[in-house]
Amino acid sequence: MLAFISRRMAAAVAMLLVIGTIIFSLLIIVPGDPAELLLSTGGGSASAEAIANLRVNMGLDKPVLTQYVTFLYNTARLDFGTSIVDNGSISSVIALRLPRTLEIIIAGTIFALLLAIPAGTAAGLRAGGKFDIAASAINALLTSIPGFVLGTLFIFFFAQVLGWLPAGGYVAFAANPMQHLQMLVLPALTVGLHLATIVFRMTRASVLEMRGHDWVRTAVAKGLRRKRVVRRHILYNALGPIITVVGLQLGILLGSTVLVEFIYNWPGLSGLLVSAVEQRDYPTVRAVILTVAAIFIGINLVIDILSSLLDPRIRLQ
Amino acid sequence: MMSVRNFPKRMILPSLFLAALIIIPFAAPLITADDPVKIAVRYRLAAPDLEHWLGRDEFGRDRLARVLYGGQVSLTVAFVATTIACIIGTLFGLVGAYFRGPSEFVTSRLSDIVLCFPPILLALLVVTLFGPGSVTLVAVLSVLYFPTFARITFSEALRVTSLDFVEASRALGTPSYRIVLGTVLPNIAGPLSVQYSLTAAAAITIESGLSFLGLGVVPPAPSWGQMIRGARQFMNQDPLGIMIPCAALVLTIYAINFFCDRLRDTLDPKGTSGSSMDEVSKPKSRANAPTIKDPDVVAVINNLRLETAHFGTPAVIEDVSLTLRANQCTALVGESGSGKSLSSLALMGLLPGAIRQVGGTLQLRRKSDEVVDLGFLDARRLEDIRGNDIAMIFQEPMTSLNPIHKISDQMIEAITAHRPMSKSDARAHAIALLKRVGMNDAERRIDSYPDQMSGGMRQRVMIGMALSCEPRLLIADEPTTALDVTIQAEIIELLQTLRQDQGNGLSLLFISHNLGVVADIADRVAVMYSGLIVEEGPAAQILRDPHHPYTRALIESMPSSHEELNSARGDRLPAISGTPPLPSARPSGCTFRDRCPIALPACAHIRPALYPSADGERAVRCLRAPEAPAGVMNHQTEAA
Amino acid sequence: MTAAPLLDVRNLKKSYSIGRSGLFSKRSLKVLHDVSFSVAPGEVLGLVGESGSGKSTIGRAILRLIESQSDVMRFDGQDLNSISPVRMRSLRKQMQIIFQDPYASLDPRKTIRAVLSEALDAHGLHKGAARVPRLIELVTLVGLDPSFLDRRPHEFSGGQRQRIGIARALAVEPSFIVCDEAVSALDVSIQAQVLNLLADLRAKTGVSLMFISHDLSVVRYISDRVMVLYLGRVMEVGPADQVHFSPKHPYTAALVSAEPSLHRENRRIRLTGEIPSPLVLPSGCIFRSRCPYAQPACAETVPPLQTVGDQHQSACLRTDIL
Repeated sequence: MLAFISRRMAAAVAMLLVIGTIIFSLLIIVPGDPAELLLSTGGGSASAEAIANLRVNMGLDKPVLTQYVTFLYNTARLDFGTSIVDNGSISSVIALRLPRTLEIIIAGTIFALLLAIPAGTAAGLRAGGKFDIAASAINALLTSIPGFVLGTLFIFFFAQVLGWLPAGGYVAFAANPMQHLQMLVLPALTVGLHLATIVFRMTRASVLEMRGHDWVRTAVAKGLRRKRVVRRHILYNALGPIITVVGLQLGILLGSTVLVEFIYNWPGLSGLLVSAVEQRDYPTVRAVILTVAAIFIGINLVIDILSSLLDPRIRLQ
Repeated sequence: MMSVRNFPKRMILPSLFLAALIIIPFAAPLITADDPVKIAVRYRLAAPDLEHWLGRDEFGRDRLARVLYGGQVSLTVAFVATTIACIIGTLFGLVGAYFRGPSEFVTSRLSDIVLCFPPILLALLVVTLFGPGSVTLVAVLSVLYFPTFARITFSEALRVTSLDFVEASRALGTPSYRIVLGTVLPNIAGPLSVQYSLTAAAAITIESGLSFLGLGVVPPAPSWGQMIRGARQFMNQDPLGIMIPCAALVLTIYAINFFCDRLRDTLDPKGTSGSSMDEVSKPKSRANAPTIKDPDVVAVINNLRLETAHFGTPAVIEDVSLTLRANQCTALVGESGSGKSLSSLALMGLLPGAIRQVGGTLQLRRKSDEVVDLGFLDARRLEDIRGNDIAMIFQEPMTSLNPIHKISDQMIEAITAHRPMSKSDARAHAIALLKRVGMNDAERRIDSYPDQMSGGMRQRVMIGMALSCEPRLLIADEPTTALDVTIQAEIIELLQTLRQDQGNGLSLLFISHNLGVVADIADRVAVMYSGLIVEEGPAAQILRDPHHPYTRALIESMPSSHEELNSARGDRLPAISGTPPLPSARPSGCTFRDRCPIALPACAHIRPALYPSADGERAVRCLRAPEAPAGVMNHQTEAA
Repeated sequence: MTAAPLLDVRNLKKSYSIGRSGLFSKRSLKVLHDVSFSVAPGEVLGLVGESGSGKSTIGRAILRLIESQSDVMRFDGQDLNSISPVRMRSLRKQMQIIFQDPYASLDPRKTIRAVLSEALDAHGLHKGAARVPRLIELVTLVGLDPSFLDRRPHEFSGGQRQRIGIARALAVEPSFIVCDEAVSALDVSIQAQVLNLLADLRAKTGVSLMFISHDLSVVRYISDRVMVLYLGRVMEVGPADQVHFSPKHPYTAALVSAEPSLHRENRRIRLTGEIPSPLVLPSGCIFRSRCPYAQPACAETVPPLQTVGDQHQSACLRTDIL
């Protein structure tokens, strides 16, 4: 077991290194002078002095290898350098905004799992039944609504037409807990519903598959109560595939959070990212993306370990 | 596979729907003469009228034109990018799977890396460097999605390449490129086209999302994401403005997803027509069968008739009657499709949802001496009986145990389901059972997982588990078919000893296609053919002197019945011709007459009954058997 | 043996590398240990063994469908160990294979015509106008109706599919066919039909067969000689009837005695223990951990194949018992 975990952790670190290298080399392979490119917003070119300043600032004047090693070293220390727009420390901005993004994701994930796993199980157990047909139809429709469309529609109905919830914004939890939670509802719901469609589909398919296995027939033949058969011999087996898929889909979820935060004016990582992209603040963009990739790899590491706990065959191989 | 002639019906609607949504934007000049970028501030947010069916937007531009031309941009970006990704990815995957080696490594690692980037973030990264625009989008999306195609192609191609028919092509000497293009590619086209639709939908989502952020298609060129972005500020005054692009976007993605779902179902039909696991088959009418009087009899199947759930289909089991006695082993013998397994599943109340019991009774004497009809019990009472009064072991020991639970847990739950017992007592009982079925070191091995055991050991576990509540009836469905011959002999021997040891007189129903095994273990034999019992009686008599021509043919077909024959000396096995009929194509009269070497014209008219012998010990369903009553042929031929 | 063998194999070995135990050392799983045999023209050699015996691996190794090592592998005078890929492809015309699973061995998307044509195209046989008569000849040869040519596999029963598989193998007029469990998936009454078909074809065309099966009676009926394998080693080889009715190796004797039979009174020879894992094989005689006659000496040396009768060899130190 320990060997398994350390092997997976080594793989995760290696993956981070590769991703860091790719992100670093993107700037190198861009045709032309990166400093000039980054400062050339909307056709107008920047002054030679500004370009030279930026080159020194980003260390672009040094040899590539030195740049690379410095980049890796600083990144490992969680030092992402300074923004080229306002010269502020990127690390501290991320430290401020990351928890807000995680809050939406965690709330959305909990909502999605609570909704989709029971619904998917019920649909899978009675595939072809009334509930399955209805739930699958709703699911197909929801799958087809991109997160930002869903968010926009939510604002229209729940905030503007019905006036039940605020249309967006952010208040710190410490300042006003009630209002904070009210503002969290719509973003979390938007992110969560999207994930729920994926989890529902996967749960249904997985339950349907497990249901057909011989060991379920054995369990029924033993005279176990139906509830126990479903819980121990269908759902428990289905859980492994479900969480693996959730882990892979979290990448897409993290991405859709960008748009959702933008729509609801939620000051998480995405606001930072979108404005950084608009202003071509490459160091900030790079830092945010590295952070997100690290989170993604971290989550999948946890999921790998979880599924090995669920399925002895993964441990024993 | 799909020629125009047999285009699947389920695909017609989604195909038309999708085609319409793709064609309409590109037919924009035919639908409206308006220019999507012409600004007329005077008419900003004008309501729909006859000339401008969908009204005008915040710059006074015609909304219909913008939706249609915007669709062109979204669809073009999505499909061009998806197509490029698909072609490159498929090439990578095929090369990786067929030639293995380094290309395999590149293919699998590459997709791992790209999967770590949330797609929209990678797009943003590239937009930062190259600036927004359609060309950038296409490039990013292709790079983003080709590893997914490579991965799917790789794993699917690997699966197909290991199939026998690809090996056959290699053995034939067909050149590699012809195998890859002619055999492998067509067989992975299904999953690939599903992935193509999924990717196209995802690409549209990302394109519109980026445009919504103002980082995608550059204004003033129209796009759905931009329309939503623009209309957002005027949501209150002008709800139509936001609804139209949203609807266009959702409908298009829905059309692609719908197409994709149907495509998946068509290519892989299993699971869609899934019958509910809770479906319980109930007989239509309750027959008034006498209850079991003989105390020696454990179970009686009387005139069992099973049909598939579809209306008007023939019976899969036409007529099965069987008496199972204590201390007796009854073997149910037949080839695949004869209905032997279904008959036994009916006894367990485990019939598949698609099969219904439409007639007959299934009576069981419980350990309490209560006699019940299994066909009429509710689910709860069946649960009490299964594993307690009747137990069953199955053909595949490798899949019959749950791979993620320990043997101990699986045995303990079988015991505590029927007996009020503490967990530690149940565990001790389970260990004792494992010792009884011949497992050495049971105390330790009870805590292993099924995958740590050989097939023979797992079958021992299954047998121990089945006997845990001392059932009166044990059903063994081909319990040794999946095992090696030396292990098979051990399991048969084990079943024999257990049968003698079991205090309360175990009745064993042994289902097999192997007459040699049956000869080893059975007291009585019932031979099934095409949903009917055709011969029944004491095992020794039937196997030595079969009266039904089918039983005779089964015995004669076995090479082990002819130890004097060898093909090297030009000998042939006495085989019968033909194959067993499908339930829907059974011949009139005797179902075996097509293949019967001694059939008479009368056999086409009369469906023989099971004629008992004079001493009542055996019965045969054949007009030409010694048991057939004299005159039955003449009498019924005239009637027909 | 009088005639030169069609196929001659000396010390065939095959191992798979599996995972890693340490960081650098790769473990290897040996599935074949120095298997040697030959097949004469027109001969049927039966391969018998339980799962893990390596019998299917041998068939695929000879056809070069999997990599393997051997000291000698000659087919029809040609050295398969040094043959170029191009020559190998044309040599495939002479050696064919019939598979176990009649459902997996035919491409569900191809008509029978396409399946058989692929075989002919691969070697440029019966082109143009000669094609159709040849296809009809082939399906008739295996007892099917020529009208079946334009149907796809799902329209056929298991027995019919197996006949199609046989027709595909025969299409190129091979001199040697590996039948890998070719009748194991079939019902008894169908199995007899296919066995008779194979026997007829052999009489008609003089083709050599390597008949691989776990079913001793089937192998005995169809083969001239039988080779018994256990965990990748040859235990006994000899004329079919001799090996079956007077086995010289305890493992063969145990196999024969374990086989259920309608007519023989069974005096089963009990084996002890389970089949060992191929990763931890017993020293000396590979069978000694289950052998009722094992002695301390059996752990010392790997018993060589010794001649015990006419063309009959057995790898057992204890020649005194059987």
